[in-house]
Amino acid sequence: MWSILSVAAALVYAAAVSAVSTAGNRLLVVLDDVAEKDLYSQFLGDLTARGYDVSYETPRSEGLALFHLGERKYDHLLFLPSKVKGLGPNLTPSHLVNFVNADGNILVAQTSTVPSSTSIVGFLSELDISLPVERTGTVVDHFNYDVRSAAESHDVLVVEGPINIRPGLKPYFEIEGGVVAFPHAVGHVLGSGPLLSPVVRASATAYSYNPKEQAEVLDADDLFAAGQQLSLLSVFQARNSARVTVLGSAELLQNKWFEAVVGKPGGNSFRTDNQEFAKRVSGWAFQEIGVLRVNSIEHKLQESDELNPGIYRIKNDVSYNISLSEWSWDKWVPFTLPQDDVLQLEFSMLSPFHRLNLARRRTTGDAAVYGISFTLPDQHGIFNFKVNYKRPFLTNIEEKNTVSVRHFAHDEWPRSFVISGAWPWISGIGATVSGFVGFCAIWMYSKPVGKKN
Amino acid sequence: MAVETSKGPALGYTTESTRALFRVVILCFIAAAAIASRLFSVIRFESIIHEFDPWFNFRATKYLVANGFHKFWDWFDDRTWHPLGRVTGGTLYPGLMVTSGAIYHALKTLTVPVDIRNICVLLAPACSGLTAFATYLLTNEMTTSPSAGLLAAIFMGIAPGYISRSVAGSYDNEAIAIFLLVFTFYLWIKALKLGSMLWGALCALFYGYMVASWGGYAFITCLLPVHALTLICMGRYSSRLYVSYTTWYALGTLASMQIPFVGFLPIKTSEHMPALGIFGFIQLIGFIEYVRSAISGRQFQTFLVTILVATFGLGLLGLVGLTSLGYIAPWSGRFYSLWDTGYAKIHIPIIASVSEHQPTAWPSYFFDLNFLVWLFPAGVYLCFQELRDEHVFVVVYALFGSYFSGVMVRLMLTLTPVVCVAAAMSASQILDTYLSWKSAVPAEEQEAPKKVKGGLRGVEKPNVGIYSPLTKVLVSGSILVYLLMFVSHCTWVTSNAYSSPSVVLASRMPDGSQHIIDDYREAYQWLRQNTKEDAKIMSWWDYGYQIGGMADRPTLVDNNTWNNTHIATVGKAMSSREEVSYEIMRQHEVDYVLVVFGGLLGYSGDDINKFLWMVRIAEGIWPDEVKERDFFTSQGEYRVDEGATDTMKNSLMYKMSYYNYGSLFPPGQAADRVRQVRVPDQGPVINTIEEAYTSENWIIRIYKVKDLDNIGRDHVSAAAFERGQKKKKPTKKRGARVLRLD
Repeated sequence: MWSILSVAAALVYAAAVSAVSTAGNRLLVVLDDVAEKDLYSQFLGDLTARGYDVSYETPRSEGLALFHLGERKYDHLLFLPSKVKGLGPNLTPSHLVNFVNADGNILVAQTSTVPSSTSIVGFLSELDISLPVERTGTVVDHFNYDVRSAAESHDVLVVEGPINIRPGLKPYFEIEGGVVAFPHAVGHVLGSGPLLSPVVRASATAYSYNPKEQAEVLDADDLFAAGQQLSLLSVFQARNSARVTVLGSAELLQNKWFEAVVGKPGGNSFRTDNQEFAKRVSGWAFQEIGVLRVNSIEHKLQESDELNPGIYRIKNDVSYNISLSEWSWDKWVPFTLPQDDVLQLEFSMLSPFHRLNLARRRTTGDAAVYGISFTLPDQHGIFNFKVNYKRPFLTNIEEKNTVSVRHFAHDEWPRSFVISGAWPWISGIGATVSGFVGFCAIWMYSKPVGKKN
Repeated sequence: MAVETSKGPALGYTTESTRALFRVVILCFIAAAAIASRLFSVIRFESIIHEFDPWFNFRATKYLVANGFHKFWDWFDDRTWHPLGRVTGGTLYPGLMVTSGAIYHALKTLTVPVDIRNICVLLAPACSGLTAFATYLLTNEMTTSPSAGLLAAIFMGIAPGYISRSVAGSYDNEAIAIFLLVFTFYLWIKALKLGSMLWGALCALFYGYMVASWGGYAFITCLLPVHALTLICMGRYSSRLYVSYTTWYALGTLASMQIPFVGFLPIKTSEHMPALGIFGFIQLIGFIEYVRSAISGRQFQTFLVTILVATFGLGLLGLVGLTSLGYIAPWSGRFYSLWDTGYAKIHIPIIASVSEHQPTAWPSYFFDLNFLVWLFPAGVYLCFQELRDEHVFVVVYALFGSYFSGVMVRLMLTLTPVVCVAAAMSASQILDTYLSWKSAVPAEEQEAPKKVKGGLRGVEKPNVGIYSPLTKVLVSGSILVYLLMFVSHCTWVTSNAYSSPSVVLASRMPDGSQHIIDDYREAYQWLRQNTKEDAKIMSWWDYGYQIGGMADRPTLVDNNTWNNTHIATVGKAMSSREEVSYEIMRQHEVDYVLVVFGGLLGYSGDDINKFLWMVRIAEGIWPDEVKERDFFTSQGEYRVDEGATDTMKNSLMYKMSYYNYGSLFPPGQAADRVRQVRVPDQGPVINTIEEAYTSENWIIRIYKVKDLDNIGRDHVSAAAFERGQKKKKPTKKRGARVLRLD
């Protein structure tokens, strides 16, 4: 009986293990002291339970390498705060950039109690994410702090129900009615690149300062950033859809904040939703959610069954279908567009000749098919069916199907007798021909009469 | 051989049939000589398609053979002019490809499998044999001297002016077009002489074939009406002229309109208007002639004046009106440049940039025609001696041919046939006169009729001079020497100047042995084997056909210069800063950029030397963004060394040419052997593209266009990061903060 149960348990576990990120399950956690992981045991346990194969290394470790023979050794990196100033020769900014370029995901967690490593600062600055000068800074908010743990220092921020900062996004990070605590957070400032998007921003009343140097007075010129310019959690998605997540507060992931009870000044106390939030952040960062897959692209002539022909003719009626799935934690589901968002198809040569909204045609088990029918432009050339769907939180879809659009062949024009304007000319030809034949006949059969005699 | 040919008839004791046999044998020899002298390139190098345009014709022929005629007719080529494509089937002259395709299929039916490439390579020499024969026929129409035709045939067979376009491998439209040109003229003369509808129809048929083969058909379209008009003005209107001209025009125009590329041009463009006008005019003349025979002289005079004034007035008004309304296209720019050689340079740089569109230099007449140059006027003079209708044709042809050959180098080709005909007439006249072995007194009666026909008036008088053996030996000896020199000159020119495939370069090693420089094919092969099937290659248009033919990769622009804007776009990409070029290249989906650089080898036909044309053509479209002046130093020099202007140094072309060039040399010694200057040691830095391939002698350099940076940086900072340069710390807050708006 027990054995059967254990086999069943093993099967369930195996299923859980197989159900993990689309990008792989090899996760490397970089932290100062392997013993330190006990602080995060619950979070790391969650990751293991979700199927990650977690390895731990310290920056000082000799055997630490991100690549082996040109291949990535890990699929994901998690940086927990480290007291080491630089992260050593194996984790230089250029290694990290290469790791991202090779489709690896990185989650960086920081804390204001430990200065960030130069390697991380250098790496993030390549992504156009700036950290406070001197690598140290803490975010305080004199209006939204936790009265229980930071009654004096005001550096444990309480964020109520993180919600998306703009409409049209998937609610991956939204916890309605929830509360998330950001203890000892380091704020960062984002550049204006389109690959970056803030998820949790500090409230309007927050600001960042260096407790060591700016304890007494904070000159306005020396202010790193304040208010909503200060991000606490930001995500970056490279063009190859590799993800970099910057979390300002590593302590958010610690066991003690998973269950903590916090309260705002003059407000009620809540249990934090840090555990759920940490799951979502790590899930997104390691590509467990928000991953799109293009199953198939079909374009064809409307009246033909031949799929994806290489050449069309001008003014053909064509239909285009794209089938999309989304990975949601452990399975592929049909991709549903966020509210107020549309999926567009461009039919372009140098510039778009058509830009059309795709409609949802049908849904099969794990895929949604979006499509449209339209008439090709009256211009021959080499065109692209292009779906360029790039949204924050969702992996990029940039699909280009090149087709040639040819001119009318010489036998595809309407025949002359179909064109009413040609009738006078056709009858002219007819008249000439019959006239000539008639004339010849008359000429040949009208012998001169006089010669008979 | 030419001398031998002239002896046969002059000896005078062979019977008619023996002469005919001789003639056939000699013509066969001439054809063999014409073909053999064109095979230098195959022997020196290999059976390879030459230069630029032939590569397109070759590619088109392969398409025709592979896909059949209907597909070829409707061919939309999506591998050129990316991303516009080209309606190739409707924008080419299919005669050449169809001819080789027909030969290929005929041989296949005869179970002689021949590679289509070899047919293409050898088509031009084969046609040159036919051209020699056609010239023989044409010349025979001009003179009764039987030696003139044979002389003309051999002249035509080996004249460098024609060989330049018809060596083996020079698979160009001209290869068959010159044969068709000469043969059409022969048929025209025949039709005119006989007033025959049949010959007129044959003439129209071959005219149609000519239209299908070469854009130069306009030469026939204009020359025949001019000939007809000249005859009419000389008061030589006849029913023969009427029949032959109207037959040719009606059938020929219908035939020409069957070619899609020509279509309705014969009734729409000014180039074709003379033929149409003369067609109308000749109807009028015919009508007037009829009226003249019907009514009295006085009435006729009034009638004539009224009719002429009314017709010309109405015709001219109609032409001007239709042209201004846009129904008739005005003269095209290419046509203007025929009248004013400076026109193209100012208005259409794309035409002026082609070397074969340059005005001819005087020495090239001697180079291409040798002693025919001075025999030619003599022959034209001889035409005036008799001045029958066909002689008028030679005179008209000589006049126009000489003019046009002076305007454009390539039109030397259309001049060559008439030069050969006229020169053969004068040479045969000399030989006939001086090679006669008959003594003066008894021969008086026999010689006399011959001289009336074609003799120089000066020698007609009973003169002991030309009968004395000394004169005969001297004159015929010197002509013999000239003929021999002509043969050796032709052989020398053919072997040294016109037999280089230009795809493969030959040079001499210090020990005198030949060294083949094969960079072009090396690079094209690299492209073929190392890039994706649909990788788009950007290069200057000169190399478009070769990339399409040899590397089989899509190109942005090619030698079919139908879209000036697209070419100017490439010119702009080459002559702008990297950042500007990158946008253009991204928009056009360019994967690789190819440049030709001759600095290491001293190969002067490279892109830096052509660069100013790119600038000029780009400036024609974007005068605000590309300025030719910026590429010259303040002293007005075009420099590529230290003193080059910043615009020059920052241009993509300069960067691609000289990237890493200094590293080949010891410090301070980097030199460009074409421009004979020392180039800076510190070469240009490129960020948006990366070197992918450089051929052995650095003639071809290929660069890959980088993708956008994966993490969203601009290429300059990404490249700086790659090189290990630290990002500059953001300068201590000066000015307003840059805020992110979300």
